[in-house]
Amino acid sequence: MSRVRYGVTGLTALGLAALGLSACSGVKPEAPNQRTMATGDVQAAALASYVKPGDHDEYYLFYSGGHSGQVFVAGVPSMRHIFTIPVFTPYPGTGYGYDEETKAMLGGYTWGDVHHPAASKTDGDYDGRWLFVNDNANNRIARVDMRDLKTKQILGPIPNTMGNHGSSMVTDNTEYALVGTRFSVPIGSQYAPLEEYATRYKGAVTGIKVDPKSGTMSVGWQIMTPPFNWDLGATGKGPSNDWAFWTSYNTERATGKLEASSTQRDRDYVAIVNWKAAERAAAAAGAGTFLASGIRMIDPAKVPGVMYLLPCGKSPHGVDVDPSGEYVVCSGKLQPTSTVYSFKKIQDAIARKSFTGEEDGIPVLKYEDALLMEVPVGLGPLHTQFDGKGYAYTSLYVESAIAKWKLPPYAAGADPKAQVVDKIPVQFNVGHLVTAHGDTRHPKGDWLVAMNKMSKGRSIKTGPSIPESSQLIDISGKDGGIKMKMIYETYTEPEPHFAQLVHKDVLKNTIEFYPKAENHHPRAIWAGKDAKVTRNAATRTVEGTVFAVRSYFEPGRIQVQEGDTVVLHITNAEQARDEIHGFGLVAFDKNIIIDPGETKTLKFVARKSGVYPYYCTNFCSALHQEMQGYLEVVPQGTALTMYKGGHGEMLFARRPEAPAAPKAADHASAH
Amino acid sequence: MPTLTDRTRTLALLIAAALVAVSIFLPLWGMTLVSTQYPEGLRMVVYPSRIVGDIHELNVLNHYVGMMPISDGFFTELRILPAAFAALAALLAAAAFVRRRWAVLLPLVGMTALAVYGFASMRHRLWQFGHELDPAAAIDIPPFTPAMFGLHEIAQFAGYSYFSWGTFLPMVAGALAAAVLASDFRRSRSL
Repeated sequence: MSRVRYGVTGLTALGLAALGLSACSGVKPEAPNQRTMATGDVQAAALASYVKPGDHDEYYLFYSGGHSGQVFVAGVPSMRHIFTIPVFTPYPGTGYGYDEETKAMLGGYTWGDVHHPAASKTDGDYDGRWLFVNDNANNRIARVDMRDLKTKQILGPIPNTMGNHGSSMVTDNTEYALVGTRFSVPIGSQYAPLEEYATRYKGAVTGIKVDPKSGTMSVGWQIMTPPFNWDLGATGKGPSNDWAFWTSYNTERATGKLEASSTQRDRDYVAIVNWKAAERAAAAAGAGTFLASGIRMIDPAKVPGVMYLLPCGKSPHGVDVDPSGEYVVCSGKLQPTSTVYSFKKIQDAIARKSFTGEEDGIPVLKYEDALLMEVPVGLGPLHTQFDGKGYAYTSLYVESAIAKWKLPPYAAGADPKAQVVDKIPVQFNVGHLVTAHGDTRHPKGDWLVAMNKMSKGRSIKTGPSIPESSQLIDISGKDGGIKMKMIYETYTEPEPHFAQLVHKDVLKNTIEFYPKAENHHPRAIWAGKDAKVTRNAATRTVEGTVFAVRSYFEPGRIQVQEGDTVVLHITNAEQARDEIHGFGLVAFDKNIIIDPGETKTLKFVARKSGVYPYYCTNFCSALHQEMQGYLEVVPQGTALTMYKGGHGEMLFARRPEAPAAPKAADHASAH
Repeated sequence: MPTLTDRTRTLALLIAAALVAVSIFLPLWGMTLVSTQYPEGLRMVVYPSRIVGDIHELNVLNHYVGMMPISDGFFTELRILPAAFAALAALLAAAAFVRRRWAVLLPLVGMTALAVYGFASMRHRLWQFGHELDPAAAIDIPPFTPAMFGLHEIAQFAGYSYFSWGTFLPMVAGALAAAVLASDFRRSRSL
């Protein structure tokens, strides 16, 4: 995006120069995108976005968190940020990255760059199983389970990939999450000097196979490509189901300052990939395929029918397939048009072998063969979404606006200009936009969210770290009109790219606590009496099973020896929603959060003798403050008093005739 | 009231037996507690052989006032009731084919005894759980007895207690058995 920012600066400078030439002093032209809303519109908008206390939003907005490495979740239409799903970055709020389970998943990485979340689909519609998100920085892809909205798997780094940007796009039945490398590098993690970029560097697009039952991802196959920069992609639908599309820039194969060197050609390419053919070629593992860093890689020059290149507008970002799967839309950022291609015409051209040339052996289709119309949407078109009612919505970065325009079929000789039916200013510099179910076969057609890259003073002052802005736009046409209506704006932390706007009913199976029966952790315990602490003197390891329930831990006291490695498996035995417990170990930089019904493992070395309290960090009850215990780190040479076991259940009354049990308040001192 | 034909008598007692038998698997009694934090309510439903509902959560909350945990194993009633229901159903079914007054009287007396036992024991348990509170508990509350029937209040909770099919159907069975017994008496007098 930074190239565009520079581009904008350039354009602004040019505009200022022009103004300077023609300006009379004292005249200040009105900025086009600062129109205020009429009172009636304000009232209507307020009611449209207001979700009164106790009511639910209708949609989940799964925002990519950009270089925060997370997924933000907001409700629509209120636009309230509701919660954050940590994915690539530790998140103390939910203890993510502090327990052994999530630490292992993060694999030592401390950040990621989430760009394009993709919800799993069945028959081309969201099915509420998983959300796939890419990491543009460390070449990974993650899967969030929509049942508990937690990250379940991080796959990667994906070999032969540098900057997993063209990702994640899910095929119609979630057979694959497709990803593409942004940067081209020498294949197989080898070194080649940058001077050999055009010949020895290669790009790759990758099929990440998704297990239909478990959702487990694995690298299926890769297609080697010329050293272009792959940008963003889309999967086909319906008739184009077997195909996927990626945009490229820098087809000049340039290095150095790409701002200029990669913008010399008038056109870049859309890659047209038959992922089913790629799957077959990889499975056959025949001629034209080879292993690179353990991945079955396909050379599309040698395996015909896997990949084609189609010229498109210069430096494109988005390529998008309409709900019918018949039309493919690609917009070159540096040209004021969105190009509409016919998938059928593409297939006809492929069948006729109507190629104008090749790039490293990959056939290049003729632009005109596939073209239906160049729609003059406006300046800086980036990304397109759909409403299922025959319209497309394209974000205009430079113009800071959303264009609404008509999809084919077009009448013969139709005026391209007349296809743009409305335009609405946004504040400012919109990158991606998302409509409700906008990349499925059945968009809902009611809401659109513009994710703006700049907010430039729209909010109260935040210091120089200016937040991004997101704006909610009504595209329902409820009053019979064709106009889009600005409803609401909000701010997000850095930095949303794409999002998925998913109806709440799609997540109807989402749970609010983990049922005890589903906890298969070998060290889970459900009663205080089962708490246990054992020490292996030979390995100097202490292992404990800890029981947490309102409002105490069992044991309330753990003794270890200075230098011991301590492993605690902590079970939150609650079976009620929102009864979350934390286990914060004072002065140890440790805190894990355990959801109801969950068991998590905390590991640390007790380096220095002393007494260290532990306490519940996530507010749980009226006696939350009392939920605490002590870790005694005994100096070397001092005898240890091992924990002898729990004192039965919670602080329940003893029956008068039953033998007196120690009071719960004495738990800590009874042994 | 006319005397019942043999066929009707048999049928009535078999129905009574079936009603008691099926009640083994039906809820006897329940209580629902609602508060601001639990708008959907916390449920406790007592079956002849088990207690179901949000028992874990109720126990967690109850422990703050020192109440004993509710658990199936604690209640001898849950072992007695299924056996008693089964025995009474068997006696009623047998009475259908034994045209003697004592054959009907026996299960009827048994059912009456069971009803007295059931209500008395429920009354006792409600009292016991509200009174045998651990003095070491975090919160001291005055002892209480939750209501067996109808709306009531416990601390921040609004409660509703109700009887259910497992109680109603045996009552219907009892009425049927009583009608048969009355008929048997009339028949013996008219002979």
